[in-house]
Amino acid sequence: MEYLASDKIAIVDLGSRDITEEELEEDLVLDKIGGAGITKHLYDQYASAQSNDNGPIVLGTGLLTGTLVPGSSLGIMTAKSPSTGKVSHVPLHLDAGIELKYSGFDYIVIKGKAEKPVYLWIHDGIVDINDADELWGKDTWTATDDIRSEMGDDLIQVLGIGRAGENGSDLAQVGINYWQSADRMGFGKLFGEKNLKLIAIRGMGLLEISEPEDFIEDCAELITTIRSNSLMDMQGIAATAAALGEEDFRDWIGPLTHRHMACFNTPVATSTFIFTDEDPALLKESTVPEPGFLLTDIFPLITFKKAGLSAKETGAVLKACAKYGIDGAAVAELSAKSGLTSPEDIEKALPDLKGPVECAGSSVFSAWAAVGKETDENWERRQAVAYVMGIHPIWLQMAPDLTEEKLLDLAGLGTELELPQETLDEVIADILV
Amino acid sequence: MGLCEQDTIFRYGGFFMGIQIDALKCIACMACELACGYHRDDAFALLSSCIVPYRGREKKNYVGVILKEEDSLVAARPEGIEINRIGEEQDPEKEADASAKPMLLRESCDLCDDQDDGPLCIVFCPTGAISMT
Repeated sequence: MEYLASDKIAIVDLGSRDITEEELEEDLVLDKIGGAGITKHLYDQYASAQSNDNGPIVLGTGLLTGTLVPGSSLGIMTAKSPSTGKVSHVPLHLDAGIELKYSGFDYIVIKGKAEKPVYLWIHDGIVDINDADELWGKDTWTATDDIRSEMGDDLIQVLGIGRAGENGSDLAQVGINYWQSADRMGFGKLFGEKNLKLIAIRGMGLLEISEPEDFIEDCAELITTIRSNSLMDMQGIAATAAALGEEDFRDWIGPLTHRHMACFNTPVATSTFIFTDEDPALLKESTVPEPGFLLTDIFPLITFKKAGLSAKETGAVLKACAKYGIDGAAVAELSAKSGLTSPEDIEKALPDLKGPVECAGSSVFSAWAAVGKETDENWERRQAVAYVMGIHPIWLQMAPDLTEEKLLDLAGLGTELELPQETLDEVIADILV
Repeated sequence: MGLCEQDTIFRYGGFFMGIQIDALKCIACMACELACGYHRDDAFALLSSCIVPYRGREKKNYVGVILKEEDSLVAARPEGIEINRIGEEQDPEKEADASAKPMLLRESCDLCDDQDDGPLCIVFCPTGAISMT
């Protein structure tokens, strides 16, 4: 696979500590396109070979991930959800998807179980399995700091678990660096079962483009059109809440809002950083080591707000959830059901919280991108397109200019491959089985 | 505020034409970095970009943009622009930034002189944080 790819799949056996590599064959891309199309294929291929655990965890990216197509941030993590029992897909957003795309691998299959805690270090086309004895038991913030310090690089992206995953909670989440991710599927429990503390990723690769000038020209036209669109006013998580009818959300979160942060190459910032322990108006670098929290998920915010928590209290609770490695959306739902409203009580209850939870949704795609709405066929179709092509799933819901036809055209321009609509239809049908 | 507004104005013999960055509009999406990388390598890559959103203070949400120019390193910080002349001694009281050294090794901004639409960082920035004067 010559273009828009590293042409490598890594198969990591945590039990034997063997790592093998396969080529990413063009025939596979012509058949399954990419992203969740191929992660699902690899899951099925490697799950059938082992029957003694929940199957592999597969990481991947879309053909358009890491390009200049607006919204091209998406990495994908595919596995069998302990919560729903279905082979499910979680978006790796923020900067995790792009580091994976440039890491030297297109897909990584993680199978088996390590004898003792390990972490994966993926970089420069190499996968290292390293001992994680000193990381096991640490919260996600400490573990992320330790890895970045050890490797000497603050830009390493860390997909990791906290005590929730280590202790086998169904609500355990694989976080992204210090933040809550879109893992509503309990993949953190899978990491814990495999004795996998975290995956550290750093990408410094290069992707060749088949028709670079035409590709860039099309991308430039798209962003020019998008920039003049009123949806560009929807910066930050409060804008998303307002779009859901939560008009007073902006007043609730406004006094703590520092800045809005976007995922890689995504024109609308879907995350907002609040300062809970520093003046939000501060522009210089804060001297407080941990002045606040990045809000990445609208659902727990709305739920905690309705339960009567202040924005500051909510920020504190979600920080605790992120450090413990538990899905904040699940915590919000369960706390509301049991009438817990003080941050101290909620934090105390974290180790004992159990599902099931409705916020996991019924789709194979994380309900994080449902942004509170009921999922339907249209939503699911759009999610499938996002996860196959490598586009931010919330952004794709908002961006009508990114039609399926356009995305397939761009993929064809970038890869020299002919990818017809019929193939995309078949890939989506296979994912949604 | 950096010391070099005056220097910048005189850099081109009395005309100042260059990249302006409003760090407060930046959402750290890195589109500029990738666009510049494409301009350098005719491929998608990030290592050779001369414009880079600074992301090294993630827990503090301290985000700015660094631009390598011919004679200077421009740090568009949220609190203001800082311009450091390359080769000049830096303030010993100030902590050296780990991101500075790799930037110094990169090529300088050429305003995408081969592109009809001008600098690609401006073309692809979604928020208008980057402009041309």
